[in-house]
Amino acid sequence: MNLEELKKLKEKAQRQVALREGSKKYRVVVSMGTSGIAAGAREVMKTMLDEIEKRGLEDVEVRVTGEVGLEDVEPVVRIEEASGEKTTYAHLDAEKAKRIVAEHLEKGKKVDNLAVGKEKKPE
Amino acid sequence: MFEELSLHILDIAMNSIAAKARIVQIMISEHAQRDMLSIRIQDNGRGMDADTLERVLADLATTKRSRKKDIGLGLALLRQTAEMCGGEFDVRSTPGMGTTVTVSMKLSHVDRPPLGDLNATILALCATNPAVDVQLHYLTDTEHFHFSSKEPAKKKVASRPERIWSGEEKTNYEPGRTQKVKRESTAAGCLA
Repeated sequence: MNLEELKKLKEKAQRQVALREGSKKYRVVVSMGTSGIAAGAREVMKTMLDEIEKRGLEDVEVRVTGEVGLEDVEPVVRIEEASGEKTTYAHLDAEKAKRIVAEHLEKGKKVDNLAVGKEKKPE
Repeated sequence: MFEELSLHILDIAMNSIAAKARIVQIMISEHAQRDMLSIRIQDNGRGMDADTLERVLADLATTKRSRKKDIGLGLALLRQTAEMCGGEFDVRSTPGMGTTVTVSMKLSHVDRPPLGDLNATILALCATNPAVDVQLHYLTDTEHFHFSSKEPAKKKVASRPERIWSGEEKTNYEPGRTQKVKRESTAAGCLA
């Protein structure tokens, strides 16, 4: 860690904060409790942020939450759509995270084989 | 066990956010001359009473039995890391006022985990809640860096601020104190 890196961090964090304004079509929620962190949730989140930025997806916001009760399948990411539909992805790593960004967030196509449980259809 | 200290920091700071903190201040100070690395995470969240504090600090073996919602292993893991690296661990908390977690370790200790990807940690914390002000103070023997997620782009603070945190500093928490520290270091930045 040096000051150069920290300066870059500052810029990046400010871009992320700017991205949060307005309501978005997709909200990505990363579970970041102790077990999530130990399983690599931070790297998953970072990969997703980078990938979202690289692809220029503006209708997506990334948020972080605590434990979600899925400790045994961490890292866990939940994607909430503006329509109310929710999809939970589990056992993630950087590669899978990239795939989710490319498929679900960019093309709107769920990655069924990474998802857990049944998606909740809006009433 | 976390492989990076920045993961510990993320974990502890997530507790602060879960405790409804508005300000989370992370101070990292690297003293090569004194061979000491200290990390302090201070928040103005809801704090803990003595019983809760005792419970979260319980040994690894007992946390499972006493595990309730919002009680986990984070602090116990951090204490283990600090003690393993010839350092100390301290938590002070006042209900309604906030919590301060302080750890120190020997900078040169062979078991000391690297600081790791602090950027990713700060980014993750900034993504938790826009209303939370995440502050980072990073001090070395010669330099000081300050970051706040609430502040628009500010210049780097080139000189050390007058107020330098040391391990002996009083830890009884006053509401609004974190903010005061922030203003002081910002002022130092403008003067520099």
